[in-house]
Amino acid sequence: MNEAIEFTVGFSHGVEWGWPIGVYLLLAGISGGALIVSLALRYYQRQSVETPLLKAASLVSFVTIVFGMVFLVGDLEKPLYFWKILINYNFKSVMSIGVLALCLYIPLTFVLVAIVFEGWIKEHLATTPLAKLFFLFPLLKALRPAVEVLAFVFAIVVCAYTGFLISVLVRFPLLNTAILPALFIVSGLSAGTAFSSLIASFFFQADAHAGDMKTLHTIEWPVMALEMLLLFMLFVSLIVGTSFDKQTAGAFFQGGYSALFWFGVVGIGFGVPLVLNFLLGKKVAHSAFTFYLSGTASVLGVLSLRLFILYAGQTFSA
Amino acid sequence: MEQDEKRRNFLKYLGASSVVVGTIGQGVLAEEQAQTSNEGKKPHYGMIFDQNKCVGCTECEVACHKINAVPQGQARLYVQNKTDPATPMEKRYVRVSCQQCEDAPCVNVCPTKACHRDEKTGIVTMNADDCIACKYCIVACPYDVRFINHETKAAENCNFCFNTNFAKKQDPACVQACKYKALVFGDLNDPDSYINQILHVKDAVRMKPTFGTKPSLRYIPVVKVGV
Repeated sequence: MNEAIEFTVGFSHGVEWGWPIGVYLLLAGISGGALIVSLALRYYQRQSVETPLLKAASLVSFVTIVFGMVFLVGDLEKPLYFWKILINYNFKSVMSIGVLALCLYIPLTFVLVAIVFEGWIKEHLATTPLAKLFFLFPLLKALRPAVEVLAFVFAIVVCAYTGFLISVLVRFPLLNTAILPALFIVSGLSAGTAFSSLIASFFFQADAHAGDMKTLHTIEWPVMALEMLLLFMLFVSLIVGTSFDKQTAGAFFQGGYSALFWFGVVGIGFGVPLVLNFLLGKKVAHSAFTFYLSGTASVLGVLSLRLFILYAGQTFSA
Repeated sequence: MEQDEKRRNFLKYLGASSVVVGTIGQGVLAEEQAQTSNEGKKPHYGMIFDQNKCVGCTECEVACHKINAVPQGQARLYVQNKTDPATPMEKRYVRVSCQQCEDAPCVNVCPTKACHRDEKTGIVTMNADDCIACKYCIVACPYDVRFINHETKAAENCNFCFNTNFAKKQDPACVQACKYKALVFGDLNDPDSYINQILHVKDAVRMKPTFGTKPSLRYIPVVKVGV
């Protein structure tokens, strides 16, 4: 930097993108992660029936992304003008690209829910005016392979765009890194897996220790390891970087947000599932209590990660 | 021999003609350049802040608030006191405002193109009606000089008084208000402009140039003299 002359004040209020954006980032991650995992499993296991996991994941992906939109629009200072973003596009802006992706992704998740829940819908909604739309089901069935592929691709795009969205913010060394989109995809997988497993088991009677749930349980650990590796890489890239990067590395050790990292991300997100599943014996590891607590802890861990990245990221600026 | 003569003549004519054609060409080129700088070439507005002249009276701030109707407690322009506490008699003030980057991140990230570069003048300004106040431009700005106007609920920056004084072909309010001529506004693409004359004779720097956004504001810092 040129130190002959510089200013050190700004016109923003520190953290301009606060917790609503953090919650949105979590919900988008859950939505994309749940679809990626369940559709990949369906493909590799050559499943043809509607498994409890697929039911849970399709429902989760649709509901979480819709709630995400509520938080996203709610964070605008002019929420009633959100439609302006749908008619004006700037293809240099990650946000515009993300909006386009969401405009395709949200209907896709909705259609997927309709396809997966065809039986339930025909059973429960036959007496409602919606029954007039039942003639669409054969068409949806024909389109299903295309819908699944597109939903899978856009699930990845949505997870990744949330990372790119904030990695272009050059002022903040913690955010302006190439690792962020990858970290958001991987942590989205982790939260999406955990959340859809919980729903599959609680509402759709999936056996928590057999079939898809068992497969997910084995995938969970490599995904967590990858998440740890990416966080470690992020930290190392900061401590070996410029003077601003080194200063930003302090986010992991000083101030309130470092507590969010160590208690939330490491303690709850990594610690609780690891302890429950590996350290307290087989009996505890196979209990329903562990299944639900460990899944909840994973989701909370990813929420902490999103909030930590967002808040600590905007606190340390170059 | 005869061939040699021919060759010499040829070279002679070639030399003579090149001088003639060259000068004509030069003349045409100069004319073209003059034309483009006045009409065809787009202006590139910039500003100089001379730290040697600023006394920190903040009359520029007051004028900016008034002309641009900036709400109380908010600012498009702020004069920061950067005086070293070890040498309290050597005052150092710095202008804090939009740096009017040539490659502006705020314009790049704005999803609705509300934050845009004016086609004709190249000035980075705001269409408040299209702004949905997503604050993306605020977090994207390397200089942290943007804010949401409490009254219009739209993001805002120093746009050289684009909608007020500039529209009336006047200098920005801060430049008019400065009694010490610490601020100079002008077209950097016009070789004869006063701002360019100053830049030719004084050392000026850009703020945080490593961000690579090519700011149009230039700062002339106080330089220590002697040993």
